[in-house]
Amino acid sequence: MTDSPPEIVRVDDLVKDFRPGLGLRSKRVLHGVSFAVREGEIFGFVGPNGAGKTTTLKVLMGLIRPTSGRASILGCDVGEAGFRQHIGFLPENPYFYPFLTGREILRFYARLCGVESSLLAERVNDLLALVRLEHASDARLSTYSKGMLQRVGIAQALIHDPEVAFLDEPMSGLDPIGRKDIRDIILRLKAAGKTVFMNTHILSDVEMICDRVAIIVNGRIRYEGPIREFLREDELRSDIVLARLPSETSTELGERFSATLQTVGETIEVQVREGQVQGFLEAALGAGAEILSVTPNRVSLEHIFLEAVEEGERADARADRGGEGTS
Amino acid sequence: MTRSLQRIWPIATNTVREAIRHRLLYTLLFFAVTMIGVAVLIASLSYVEGERIIQDIGLASIRLFSVGIAIFVGIGLIHGEVDRRTIYTILAKPVTRAEFLLGKFVGLLLTVWLQLLLMGLAFVGVSLLVGAPLDLGYAAALFLVGIELMVIVAVATLFSSFSTPMLSAFFTLGIYALGHLSRNLYFLGQEADVENVRRAATFLYRVLPDLETFNVSIQAVHGLPIPATEVGWAVLYGLAYTTALLSLAIYIFHRRDLE
Ligand SMILES: Nc1ncnc2c1ncn2[C@@H]1O[C@H](COP(=O)(O)OP(=O)(O)OP(=O)(O)O)[C@@H](O)[C@H]1O
Ligand SMILES: [Mg+2]
Repeated sequence: MTDSPPEIVRVDDLVKDFRPGLGLRSKRVLHGVSFAVREGEIFGFVGPNGAGKTTTLKVLMGLIRPTSGRASILGCDVGEAGFRQHIGFLPENPYFYPFLTGREILRFYARLCGVESSLLAERVNDLLALVRLEHASDARLSTYSKGMLQRVGIAQALIHDPEVAFLDEPMSGLDPIGRKDIRDIILRLKAAGKTVFMNTHILSDVEMICDRVAIIVNGRIRYEGPIREFLREDELRSDIVLARLPSETSTELGERFSATLQTVGETIEVQVREGQVQGFLEAALGAGAEILSVTPNRVSLEHIFLEAVEEGERADARADRGGEGTS
Repeated sequence: MTRSLQRIWPIATNTVREAIRHRLLYTLLFFAVTMIGVAVLIASLSYVEGERIIQDIGLASIRLFSVGIAIFVGIGLIHGEVDRRTIYTILAKPVTRAEFLLGKFVGLLLTVWLQLLLMGLAFVGVSLLVGAPLDLGYAAALFLVGIELMVIVAVATLFSSFSTPMLSAFFTLGIYALGHLSRNLYFLGQEADVENVRRAATFLYRVLPDLETFNVSIQAVHGLPIPATEVGWAVLYGLAYTTALLSLAIYIFHRRDLE
């Protein structure tokens, strides 16, 4: 792939140890994280709580220093300040000076970015409109709801029209309308040729808008690549709901079709690969079960995600045992 | 340089705005009114040199209050940025950590100077009310309190750059107290027989600020002359000491993880 777009963000073998306090043992949060974000894409940095997404982003923003490894944005090392003119950042659960109004805070950030005073008012108005906060622009932020603060966060990140936007959980705290608004903003950025890096664990958002993803579990990257390929791996499955399945058959079926049968009240739910649905149904009927429903389903990212997490945990456990063996 | 100032200035003015909108100045007005009341009361009770006592009390309380405010408000305002993580969005803009810290410092200094000005006005008001003499000596005394505040705010900024709010306040208070004693400690130390004690005393005197440099209240109250060279020297000393403190603060803050 020599014709792939240039890399905007490059992270190489990033390691971060946190020292909880004087004398306490340090804790490794990132174990050699590497990935790259290319120009013009929406990149999803996906992982469960505590995986190290925010920590990675803080390294990228120069807020914390990596223990080892390198990270660069637009070709500059993240320790420098030069490239910041071209990036926008929305932190996790953003918080702003409560004593300022929405308009004042955006003016403040715009001035920090060196937006010319003749353009300032117009720029602030544009962003208030973009995030739909015109109605509250002259109220103090202390009166804003969580979702409104999130919108202020997006607006300040984009106030200087950056080339790359780094968003930590952009949809958190938003209602469905709010989430759609943010999704639209992100898609609009992409349409304008900007690059978007977003941390999230809301998988439906990832499926809907991301071009590529990296999955991080316990501080290690488990997958990096186009989301389409990731979803194609075993694309179609069916959800089958049945009742009155004898428990010994249940175990046997689970093994034969390598599926997990979940008991939900009186019924049992299972996901089976597309080619195996016929065989599974025949076996279940043969054992006297009653079929309640069969729903063809493209495998959800959630399922793959859970598998990646479990796989990651098994790998970590192996690594731990291996580590003990050598030391 | 000018670009740097364009970023430092909004941070500074924003800090002043935060202080003003935080009801802080109203506490101060309350103090000023109380001071006027107490002063009038004392003046009506005492027979000998009532005005002098009032002015003495007035200057002393201005010093104490302004330093207290500088320490507690100053430390709160810097730590608030890190604790509430407002600093994340600021440092993601093209703002260096040095610019951020300088912006906070300038903002805090302007805030305490504003308060000093208000208290100074209250002082003038009371003096006029009780008919106490006012001359340039008082202006010099208040001006030097302003320079001392600059040093104190720089000390608070330095400790805030790496320590917790509690410890920062504690250390800054300690430096303030020691700073007023350092001259006496030095002279006391030189009396010692042991060579090392003399050396230690000299060392401490060099490192600690000599805050008595900024104290000319006695001359002011008793109408004694305050030479311009003394004031000039105090200003230079204050500026140099502040520069050293801020450089150290920037160095430390630059290396720190903002978690
Ligand atoms: N300052 C710190 N000191 C010690 N440990 C920390 C610190 N910050 C984060 N951690 C630990 O690092 C791990 C990763 O945290 P991080 O915030 O990066 O997770 P995350 O992927 O963003 O999770 P979430 O989805 O919950 O936001 C967690 O186990 C957390 O406890
Ligand atoms: Mg996070």
